[in-house]
Amino acid sequence: MADEMRKGFHRELDDVRADIVKMAAMATEMMTRATDTLLDADMLMAQAIIDHDDDIDVLSQAVEDRCFRLLALQGPMAADLRAIAATMRINSDLERSADLAVNIVKGARRIYGQVLPPRLRGIIAQMSEEAVRMIRLAIDAYTETDGPLGAALDDIDNRLDQLQSEFVQAMFEAHSDEALPLQPAVQLALIARYYERIGDHAVNIGERVAFMASGAAREHPGAARIRERAQQAAAQAAASGQGTSDQGASDQGAN
Amino acid sequence: MMALVLTGALGALGVAVAAAMWWRRRAVGVQAELQAMRRRAVQAEQAAVAAQGRLHDVIEGAPAAVFVLEPSGAVALANAAASAILTGRHGDALVLEAVRGLCGELQRGGVEQATRALDLAGPPRRSVALTARRLPEGEVLVITDDITERRRIDDVRRDFVANISHELKTPIGAMALLAETMTDEDDPQLLARLSQRLHREAMRVSSTIDDLLLLSRIETDEQPRREPVRLDEVVAHVVERSQPAAALRDIEVRTELVEPPVELLGDRRQLESAVYNLLDNAVKYSDEGSEVVVRTTRNERTVGIEVADRGIGIPAKDLERVFERFYRVDRARSRSTGGTGLGLAIVRHVAYNHEGTVRVASREGEGSTFRLELPDGLPAPAGSPVTDEGITAS
Repeated sequence: MADEMRKGFHRELDDVRADIVKMAAMATEMMTRATDTLLDADMLMAQAIIDHDDDIDVLSQAVEDRCFRLLALQGPMAADLRAIAATMRINSDLERSADLAVNIVKGARRIYGQVLPPRLRGIIAQMSEEAVRMIRLAIDAYTETDGPLGAALDDIDNRLDQLQSEFVQAMFEAHSDEALPLQPAVQLALIARYYERIGDHAVNIGERVAFMASGAAREHPGAARIRERAQQAAAQAAASGQGTSDQGASDQGAN
Repeated sequence: MMALVLTGALGALGVAVAAAMWWRRRAVGVQAELQAMRRRAVQAEQAAVAAQGRLHDVIEGAPAAVFVLEPSGAVALANAAASAILTGRHGDALVLEAVRGLCGELQRGGVEQATRALDLAGPPRRSVALTARRLPEGEVLVITDDITERRRIDDVRRDFVANISHELKTPIGAMALLAETMTDEDDPQLLARLSQRLHREAMRVSSTIDDLLLLSRIETDEQPRREPVRLDEVVAHVVERSQPAAALRDIEVRTELVEPPVELLGDRRQLESAVYNLLDNAVKYSDEGSEVVVRTTRNERTVGIEVADRGIGIPAKDLERVFERFYRVDRARSRSTGGTGLGLAIVRHVAYNHEGTVRVASREGEGSTFRLELPDGLPAPAGSPVTDEGITAS
């Protein structure tokens, strides 16, 4: 009976994993199409992408519901619990990534008619490829529970960050050459930021996979800063306490 | 009386023995027949198993993915290509979703057959055709086929007809209008200006036809000349020919040539035409004041010519189509640069005629590098393989 329940649980978990893979495929497809919309000024495709995001929202909601049901009915522990917890957060990261693709499309609509300098077009194409590649790597790590690959995504993300910097620089140059007015420049800066955020979501997915695989969660930078500050304060307090006691001791010696 | 009975008994015995022998013979015959039938049945079964095995091998090895789905949606049968999709990620996850969607559509709609085309943005871009058919007992057969290449060929054919009409009709239409205007015009200054434009359009048609004829000649030339050609001489000739256009836009054409000079067996005129087209494009699509580099390379049995620019580059989606006849990345820009749209098609056919390849690497805004790689066609050297060395710049 218990074995049967366990098999049922794993079947259900496999189905949820398949939905995550499908959602990632839908999201990356949206990203590539969003970039095509931006570079080709294809407004028909823009509306189709915005509409398609609703399908991802529905799927995301379904995945979340199934995860809650598994938690409530199966009471998973250890690796199973980590798998569900990680899946719920990955689900959220993918849904947000698809939203960012929609934001890119909306940005493309706002700058409709603006001719983009070749250098900017080239970097946009590269950012898009890199963002799609990162989400795919994150999903590869997830399906194979490959913790090291998941953890490596943080380093891989440097390329996307660098491309964003190059884009901003190229944008400033195009603006100063009067090839790009201010208003589209602002929209393009936001669009570059959306690609960079998709990369961050891929890094988040990688971290969830690393947690799923090893059980060790990566410390949040904010939490790390607070811990360091607390350690420094404790060290200072210890040092001043030592100083006071040394002082006291020397005073006693003098007396 | 006794004898009569005895005779009767003997007769009956004889009949019985004869009957027994007949039955025995019959039994042996039936047994043999049964054995033959059994043999035939075994052979038929073996043939059926072999046919089933062959059918299985054919389905299993088919490039198309074959699924049979039960009414519940569970997969009852999947060949190797289908199994790859079942366990696949990324684009394959969407193909699987389309398979399930089509299967559900068939079951809900009560139709016998349905088809769908799925276009995936990738990268890489691909198109998949899905065909579903209802089987007995509620199962559904779905076959998916990658039609990316078929679509590409259709696009090439369709665009070629549209583009060639455009390339020839536009200047001819302009010439007709200019001639009509000139007929009613008396102002000599205006007439001079109109005749200049008429001449320009005529030259445009002329160069398009020249390139078409050149391309046709290269395409039909199955046995191009094979003479020893030094690539440094080809490059020097082509650079000199491109110099006026480069100087007009303050573009420096720099050469990096392998020493000792690279030689191959080939058709000098075709090679010069190919390198000229690459260099001409590089100059046309480079920013003013920038640099174009032409370099030669040599590997064991091949030689290469690279033309690299730091111009506007080519969008990724156009990269695989730039070698098509009359294909334009940017129609408006190409009109202002004055190309015929046949240059890279000529380069591709020259490479093909020399059993070589031409490749392009490009990023928008960063520039393009075209590389022509050709077998040298020379007898194999007796010594060690030659590698790139002693590159000189000028």
